Amino acid sequence: MELKDLIQIEIPKLALFVPELIVLITGFVLFSLDLIYKRLSHTLAISVSVIGYTLALLYLVFNFDLRGETFYGLYVRDSFSSLLQVFMILLTIILLAFTLQYQRFKRSLYGEFYYLLSFSLLGGMVLASSYNLLLIYIALEAVSVSFYILTALQRGDFTSKEGAFKYLILGGLAIALASYGAVFLYIYAGSFDLRHVLHFNAPDKSFLILGLVFFLFGLAIKIGVVPFHFWLPDAYQGAPTPITAYMSSVGKIAFFAPVLRVMPLVQESFHNTWVLVVGTLAVITFLYGNFVALVQKDVKRMLAYSSIAHSGYILAGVSVANAIGLKAVIYFLLAYSIMGMLGFLVLAVLERSGNWENKLEDFDGLKHSQGFMAWVFAIALLSLLGIPPTVGFLIKALIFMSLAYGKLWWVGILMIVGVGVSTGYYLRLVVLMFMKERERRAIANPTGFERASMVLMAVSLLILGILPMLLWNYISPTSEMLFRR
Amino acid sequence: MELVPAVFPFIPLSIVLLLLGIVLIVLLEEKFAKWIALVFSGAVLVLSLVSLLYFDFSQAQKVQFYQSITLIEELRLSLSFGADGLSYLMYILTTLVSFVAICWSIRDHQINHRLKEYYAWFLLSESALVGVFTSWDMLVFYVFYELTLVPMFFVIGIWGYKLRLYSAYKFFVYIFVSSLFLLLGVVSIAVEHYRQFGKLSFSYFDLLQNQYSLAFGLFLFLLFFIAFAVKTPIVPFHTWLPDAHGEAPTAGSVVLAAILLKMGTYALLRFNIRLFPKVAVFLMPVLVLWGIATIIFASWFTISQSNVKRFVAYSSVSHMGFVVAGMFLLNKEGLRASIMEMFAHGLTSASLFMMAGFIYNRLHSFNMQALRGSIRFMPVFAVLTAITGFSSMGLPGGSSFWGKFLTIMGAKEYTLRLALLVLAGAFFSVLYVLYLLKTLYLDVKEEGRLVHFTDVRGFKLVAFLLVVVPMLLVGLLPFLFFAFFDAHIDLLLRMVLKSLGGGLWN
Repeated sequence: MELKDLIQIEIPKLALFVPELIVLITGFVLFSLDLIYKRLSHTLAISVSVIGYTLALLYLVFNFDLRGETFYGLYVRDSFSSLLQVFMILLTIILLAFTLQYQRFKRSLYGEFYYLLSFSLLGGMVLASSYNLLLIYIALEAVSVSFYILTALQRGDFTSKEGAFKYLILGGLAIALASYGAVFLYIYAGSFDLRHVLHFNAPDKSFLILGLVFFLFGLAIKIGVVPFHFWLPDAYQGAPTPITAYMSSVGKIAFFAPVLRVMPLVQESFHNTWVLVVGTLAVITFLYGNFVALVQKDVKRMLAYSSIAHSGYILAGVSVANAIGLKAVIYFLLAYSIMGMLGFLVLAVLERSGNWENKLEDFDGLKHSQGFMAWVFAIALLSLLGIPPTVGFLIKALIFMSLAYGKLWWVGILMIVGVGVSTGYYLRLVVLMFMKERERRAIANPTGFERASMVLMAVSLLILGILPMLLWNYISPTSEMLFRR
Repeated sequence: MELVPAVFPFIPLSIVLLLLGIVLIVLLEEKFAKWIALVFSGAVLVLSLVSLLYFDFSQAQKVQFYQSITLIEELRLSLSFGADGLSYLMYILTTLVSFVAICWSIRDHQINHRLKEYYAWFLLSESALVGVFTSWDMLVFYVFYELTLVPMFFVIGIWGYKLRLYSAYKFFVYIFVSSLFLLLGVVSIAVEHYRQFGKLSFSYFDLLQNQYSLAFGLFLFLLFFIAFAVKTPIVPFHTWLPDAHGEAPTAGSVVLAAILLKMGTYALLRFNIRLFPKVAVFLMPVLVLWGIATIIFASWFTISQSNVKRFVAYSSVSHMGFVVAGMFLLNKEGLRASIMEMFAHGLTSASLFMMAGFIYNRLHSFNMQALRGSIRFMPVFAVLTAITGFSSMGLPGGSSFWGKFLTIMGAKEYTLRLALLVLAGAFFSVLYVLYLLKTLYLDVKEEGRLVHFTDVRGFKLVAFLLVVVPMLLVGLLPFLFFAFFDAHIDLLLRMVLKSLGGGLWN
């Protein structure tokens, strides 16, 4: 590389960056509103957020074919980033339908909520569209710091504070590990760009392996991979339930995005190490998640463990570093973000009923007192379990396919064990809701918006399962594009 | 494999009709639910019988009524429906028995709450079953295969008897976990097709071209076999069955025993033998002996039951032993026996479960001893039970006769000892039916203590007749049914021979 290439001055192509800019501006508007008004009108804040996000979403959808790099290659817009961003923004908009009622009920209505949501969304969007370790680091911090505060938002609640504190400490460790890994990778290749790093071919690969291990372990903590998961159940349980839903969907997409960008770049020379390390982590994760979920009495915590287990399934797909694996994983990630979110959002509505503690007993005979919620929850649970024709089945089939492709039979067989164990706890809830009879006090009614969003999500779980080509036609070229990098 | 395109979309139309029925049931009032279910499943039955006129029996090995819509081009994933003789027979069995089950439910005292859901689940189960027997895309087959699980789970869990929750769990967990192996197997052979031909495909016809080494074939065979062995079930895997069948409401047991078990044997025949003929030959001795062991053990279990329903449930396991043993004999008689027995058992087990349900409606107990002698006041019921019992026993002229007789003939082609073993199994199965009939007819109580019951009539009589008449048909005119699958058997045996061309170990 010559000197004139290095000092070339690039005019930023802001067109690529517009959605992020819109979200950023929305965040600052919300921030200022919170500063100006002593008692922030929540309808105003929600309207501003929804308008901002919708604008960003519309821009993305109408410019879906936008491609290019800007900021000296720091920022990459490709179909992968657009796809992930569309999902993140959509899910955030849906989330906003649920927050007001919940927080009013829990007396945790604060203005911070809205702009922290914007900033974490922004961080997630940037995470989905960068190969650069430095930018990834900054975006990780943006998402994480927002998440710490959002988790602790229920100020009067001890579990909320405890969860946030655990999250903060382990999250800090994660950031430290990731940045340490980034440094090793820089030593190895003299660049922060993952594409250069992984294509760089030095005879001694020890720094590369070391750097990748540290970097990925940092991300693994954020994702909640066993044995780095200790913060996750506490944070998920302590956080206000809509925030849990947000962390398990948008958060998961965001933290997995860099992993998915690394995955196609895995080279022949350390492919076997990759398969072994990631495969082992995957197996430990889904086995542990499922077995521990089985003994939970608290449904929210149970879903948190199920979220860990699903990270394990995704990692199983990641361990097969090939195009089919990547397609399977992207489909899985996007589909899971809907199922996981729906599960937690149902809890968010139900928690508004008096005396509701998310215990298993609370679900007895829910079908009779609140049939709508029971059906929606059942669809989410059956999808999490992987019963056709829901999308949950299709994504498990795709993961199995990628495992067969990589001849990872041991992961496949152990995954059968994991899914088999998960039958126990998903099914138990379905049984409680539909097959137990119980006289009940009043159960909270969802509002119109909530009802509509839940129907939308439940239907999309079915549609994505029955007509997979709707999403597949976007995912397939995307993953092939990533492999050409 | 040749495909004959459809002149009229009988099969997709059946599925769509049933789904439409579900929509109507959900939308309309509860009191209409049963009639909607009856009309729609009746319409599908009529549709399947009308389609008989268009089925070309001279080329029954070909897939007829074939239709296909691509879902994902890249994975060659498509919704493709069609039926060769074997599928077609199962399709008719499905529509017939589902109609019978709904007919029975209309006057069943057990079904007195949540009617909308009940009939919706039954229609869903019927549509999924039609899908299972007529899908030619492996992943879609799997989808339908799993989908049959959900309605039955709810039917057992909500309308079942005392231990319903436990049984529903057990049923779901056993079948679901075992079928995950099937899923791994299905995607593995699709990927294997990619390795060999450079294209992913889930189409059954494409996958038939795959070649496997014996070791890898064995591994894949086992992945498939685990799922179907639990579903069928074969003896050590049968423990879910008595609970599920014993606790389900009558109509649920009817569908479970008559059709759901056939999914396992149908799939063994369709997939395990067709896709891995070499492995099937390799494992033949083990599987035949396993089948015979299933017959004998299950017969012993049956005799020791005092609960009529569990009695019938265990007898199903023993019949499935005949199906499995006959199938893996891999000769013409054995395969004929196997398919005949599949159809015959569909009818007899349906009838036997209705009998048990009828007894329960009268006595509120499943204890066989309680009904002793009372049967003399119910002549129609007595006749129906006698025909069913003798058919199930394998009396010449009864429907199960052909299954048992031809299995023995098939076994004799190998060695006489094997035939004698099958004969021993047949002997025990005679024993338990005789025991049942003896308790019902011959153990007479004192005159004064007999209870008068009303006889079978109305919808229940229709339900009984709809299975008893075909039962006699199978027994007396078996060649009508051979026409469905003889061509298929020839094709299958040719394929098995061809695959052995290079020797077993290549």
